[in-house]
Amino acid sequence: MSIVTIRKPRTPEPRALVSRDCGEGVCEVDWLASRRHESDLDVTAFGELAMAKGWGDGLPLVPPTDARVQAFLQANDRHPDEVICELPPMRAECTVEKIAINAVMAGAAPQALELIIAALLSVAAPDFELYGVNTTTAPVFPAFVVNGPVRDRLGVPYGYGCFGGAAASAVAIGRAIRLIMRNVAGQVAGETSQTTFGSPGRVAGILVGEWEERSPWAPLAERRIGVKGDAVTSFGAMGTMNILDTTSQRPDHFLEMIGKSLAYPGNNCFSPAMPYGEVMVALNPICAEILGKEMPDIAEVQERLWRYASLPADWLQALHREQLEAQGRVRDDGRIYLTPEPKDIILFVAGGLGGLHATALHTFGSSLSQTQPLAQATATATAG
Amino acid sequence: MTVGLVLDPTSTRDDDNPSPGPDAGPLAGKRIGIRRDNIWRAWDWISELWAAKFRAAGAEVSFWRCFGRSGEEGERMERELAAWLATLDVAVVGLANCGSCTGWTIRDAITAANAGLPTTAVATKNFEAFAHTIARRGGRSGLRVHVLPYPLNEQEREVVDAVGESHFAGLLEVMGASLAAAERAA
Repeated sequence: MSIVTIRKPRTPEPRALVSRDCGEGVCEVDWLASRRHESDLDVTAFGELAMAKGWGDGLPLVPPTDARVQAFLQANDRHPDEVICELPPMRAECTVEKIAINAVMAGAAPQALELIIAALLSVAAPDFELYGVNTTTAPVFPAFVVNGPVRDRLGVPYGYGCFGGAAASAVAIGRAIRLIMRNVAGQVAGETSQTTFGSPGRVAGILVGEWEERSPWAPLAERRIGVKGDAVTSFGAMGTMNILDTTSQRPDHFLEMIGKSLAYPGNNCFSPAMPYGEVMVALNPICAEILGKEMPDIAEVQERLWRYASLPADWLQALHREQLEAQGRVRDDGRIYLTPEPKDIILFVAGGLGGLHATALHTFGSSLSQTQPLAQATATATAG
Repeated sequence: MTVGLVLDPTSTRDDDNPSPGPDAGPLAGKRIGIRRDNIWRAWDWISELWAAKFRAAGAEVSFWRCFGRSGEEGERMERELAAWLATLDVAVVGLANCGSCTGWTIRDAITAANAGLPTTAVATKNFEAFAHTIARRGGRSGLRVHVLPYPLNEQEREVVDAVGESHFAGLLEVMGASLAAAERAA
């Protein structure tokens, strides 16, 4: 057998929207097809109804009344019956209306719709393998890295506490996506999802920006698919793993510490079920600056990290080693590398300026990261 | 208290074929395909044991092993699966023994069943209900599922072989398969 490599990500077709310019009132075409349920509109009472019906995640929810959903749609340039994608395991159609209802429930701002849609399109791409992500025993969930001015328009954090803890509207956006996974994709723990432990990331997700202005390299979306501006990259994340380094001084020393830390034996990149995988690493701005001075080409950073992110095959138990050998993963140097190629270590810059930590997100199996540009309204037209 | 109407946030898909599909019938002379994966060695052992019994019944047996389901590897898997199914009269598809692998086992079994093949998926007990749920969500609620004990892959070979032996008759029942009298005697 030979090493199974991962192809470079494809660039999705850009989508231009026509502004509907609905004015003060509701767009005439904004009919809503969803079933109505009578409910006490008090947040606590609605929360009880939502939990009883299986719609909720345990946190308070905003009641999705016609008025709130219409207002959400009115601020955007999509019709409610537009089918965005099908989401497994339910395979039900995810319409703009369902996205809007769940976004309202999560408390997301209407201005977040195009980011949510781009995020959903990215995970609905076949190579993301959402079917496996949503059904597995693993704790995996889609994490999203946002590029472009939309970061600041929507308050997507990329500095201190960006992976969680920063007070940011991104929490509601991430939660909206999670509610869509529950209510449209049909991902329910213990029923359609066999996740053994789950993850905090299955409540509000991870929606983090890249601190492009502090990165010595081009933005992630531009490096991946050549898109400059607003875009989102999805990654099937098993959680976050902190890597502390208070000792290194030279760039290569940092990379050795990060690379060796990435290659822990129980991570899914070494799963016998999947002969390939990716890993995502957030480098803090201070570390990125140090690395960038010596390595202005990020491919060199990836190459060095990749060489450190490996294990000697004979260090593993025989049963584990034999399965990896059967996949052709033991190379001529007797080592098993975390990913097929250096490019499969996906890097971006984010985080506070403390400078002592990196954050790694390990993949789930054959789920491959996807990058999707956000659609933009390009002209003004009157809805009819 | 203010009472009003709220919009339903869920989507459903109601299409379903509740049929289990055709019985496998007499096995002699038939081409039986067994789907394997890249993770459960216990399933390799049991399917090897069952293949020997199918051959003793006069059937031909072929194996197909699935690997990654994304990227170029995933596209290759889809092509291989379609080509392999076209060579079969009967499909036995395993092993549903985790979340994603149950998902893909059932998905491949549905592909086989939708191609008109007598098809039986094989799951371990812990994933039995999940297998039926996923089959229903995939539009084939009546999909045949034979159930092996759980945990299985953690057992030694002699234990697993005994499971394979003791479950063969049950497998045939779920498949709607029959052996000739001479084969049963053997």
